[in-house]
Amino acid sequence: MSAVALHQASSSRLQSLANKEWAWLAGIILLMSAVLTILEPNFLTQFNFYVLLRGIAVTLIVAYAQLMVLVVGQLNLSVGATGGMVAICTGGMMEVWGLPTVIAVALGLLIGVGAGLANGLLTTRTGINGFIITLATASAFTGVTIGLNDAKPWYNLPKRFVEFGQGRIGPFPYIAIVTIIVGILLWVLFERTLLGRQILAVGGNQRAAELSGIPVDRILVIVFVLSAILSSIAGIILMARLGSAQPSIGSDWLLPSFAIPIVAGIALSGGSAPVINTALAALLIALIDNGLVLTKADPYWIQFLLGLIILVAVGLNRLRAVREAKRTTAS
Amino acid sequence: MNLALRMLDRTGLLAVIVVFWAIFVVFADGFLNRVTIFGLSRTVAVTAVIGLSQMVVLGIGQMNLAVGAIGGMIGVFTGWLMQSVGLPVWAAVIVALLFAAFVGWVNGIIITKTGINSFIVTLGMASVITGLVFILTKAEAFRDLPDAYTSFGKVPWVELGWLELSPLIFIAVAIAIVMALVYKRTTFGRWMLATGANPRAAELSGVPVNFVVQATHALSGLLAGAAGIMIVSRLGSALPSIGENWLLPSFAAPIVGGTLLSGGAVAVFGTLLGALLIESVSVGLTLMNVPSFWIQLFIGLVLLLAVLIDRARTVAVARGQRGVRQTPAGATSG
Repeated sequence: MSAVALHQASSSRLQSLANKEWAWLAGIILLMSAVLTILEPNFLTQFNFYVLLRGIAVTLIVAYAQLMVLVVGQLNLSVGATGGMVAICTGGMMEVWGLPTVIAVALGLLIGVGAGLANGLLTTRTGINGFIITLATASAFTGVTIGLNDAKPWYNLPKRFVEFGQGRIGPFPYIAIVTIIVGILLWVLFERTLLGRQILAVGGNQRAAELSGIPVDRILVIVFVLSAILSSIAGIILMARLGSAQPSIGSDWLLPSFAIPIVAGIALSGGSAPVINTALAALLIALIDNGLVLTKADPYWIQFLLGLIILVAVGLNRLRAVREAKRTTAS
Repeated sequence: MNLALRMLDRTGLLAVIVVFWAIFVVFADGFLNRVTIFGLSRTVAVTAVIGLSQMVVLGIGQMNLAVGAIGGMIGVFTGWLMQSVGLPVWAAVIVALLFAAFVGWVNGIIITKTGINSFIVTLGMASVITGLVFILTKAEAFRDLPDAYTSFGKVPWVELGWLELSPLIFIAVAIAIVMALVYKRTTFGRWMLATGANPRAAELSGVPVNFVVQATHALSGLLAGAAGIMIVSRLGSALPSIGENWLLPSFAAPIVGGTLLSGGAVAVFGTLLGALLIESVSVGLTLMNVPSFWIQLFIGLVLLLAVLIDRARTVAVARGQRGVRQTPAGATSG
């Protein structure tokens, strides 16, 4: 509660805080890049940059899908399940029905919208915590994902679609175009549109937003739908990158989906949407992953480190919030 | 009103279980088979303890996403103590349980000292723990476990004609009885429910809320560890992958059983019944040759239905009492 009040009392202060976050992230990224450049000759190669960007292109959209609901103080455990379900459905429509790419992707996104509507309406109509609703729907979605083709992947995807997923210009993968467009649209949403301001208002203080005439329930449903659309986009471009619709798509997204926005310094109570910092945080985490791969470390270290990073990042955020609060009361 | 609703709940859940059993007896070949029932007694036992581990934390209005991670770690740790250290079974179990409680207590300490949401803390801890388990074991299992330990989870205990029951189910029921007594008869039980109902009010009325949160997370860790030890004796080997799929059942069993998500009210025996329902449905549908994927979808839907009923019940209770909060002491449903 006090965090919310603090947020409203000093949004300009938060602004400068966010700027500091930006500098911190950039500093750590530069430092890590320098270390990797010195230690690993393979780091500064075009192919490694391609591998790095290819990974970020997907995980950043996954992180945005979670960011979307974190902004309003909710959680979405079905980000991965939605991405997996939409990928399998889209792949199935391409292979079995032979639908053209554009139509299959459009229908796939529509399925994503349906999943988001289910989450949003169940959460707002019943007033039950989004955590439990999305835990249950995630199980249902995963059931569909694996049941649709008996846990087997679809391999016969349109050639052009796969070429788009695997092609690159120098170190720059085509699929990153989608990610950049998504990032710009989200930035515009939160910085320039009425809807974005309403979403932030609901996240900052739901009661106050309601009293000032914002249709809170409708905003929450929209947020869950947007989150599901982002999950679906991530699922579809990952499918294009892999060249097949794997039912395992999305099964390991839970941790990065929370870790990246948290490292970006998002207020877990809601009300902040650090779109650019989230991109930097995705880059930072991809660098750690890349460093572990290049140094041939045990792959399980990434899971250990991601957990540690979450704990340290929330701890630091918390510490800073407490210091800020003390400073505000002192002055 | 409250009591009537609770009676309705429990009988309602029992009725649902009876209906499912009737369906399976008729349509699923071999459901009332001695092997099936014995298998069910082993799986229900573990799921029930997993559910209780989540239930105690739900009771104080928090959650524990590390239930599976702690269970897996303790399973492997017990295997290591027996196989590599060579401890006798009883000593290994005691050391492992103490360590489980310690890890849960660390969760509680982080939550109370930093004031961070229990969801995020336990999500991070779960990842740290699982990562460590895989790094340290190199994803290898411990398979040379003492016979006394593995036969415990494999050999029936009670044999009444066709009815065979695993000793594991008796352990689960014993744990549930102890938990019910803790909630009904002890100060600590009342403290946990008071903290869950309203931490601020609890603090003001003299409940040491921080201590209660830490102790409850330690208790949750202890129960998760117990579930890990039980499942290793059932499987006969300590696999590092144990606990990976515990998240859904850990919430489903207590919530289907009638534990309130908002905290302040728990259903100990309801959690046992919840576990019985989930596992009966899994076994029954498997015997009916329903692919396991659709079973997962079905359990998701059962959980969804349970939370909707939970919601309706909360609203009904609130209306019945005209906005007066339930007294925490009376909120235990046994």
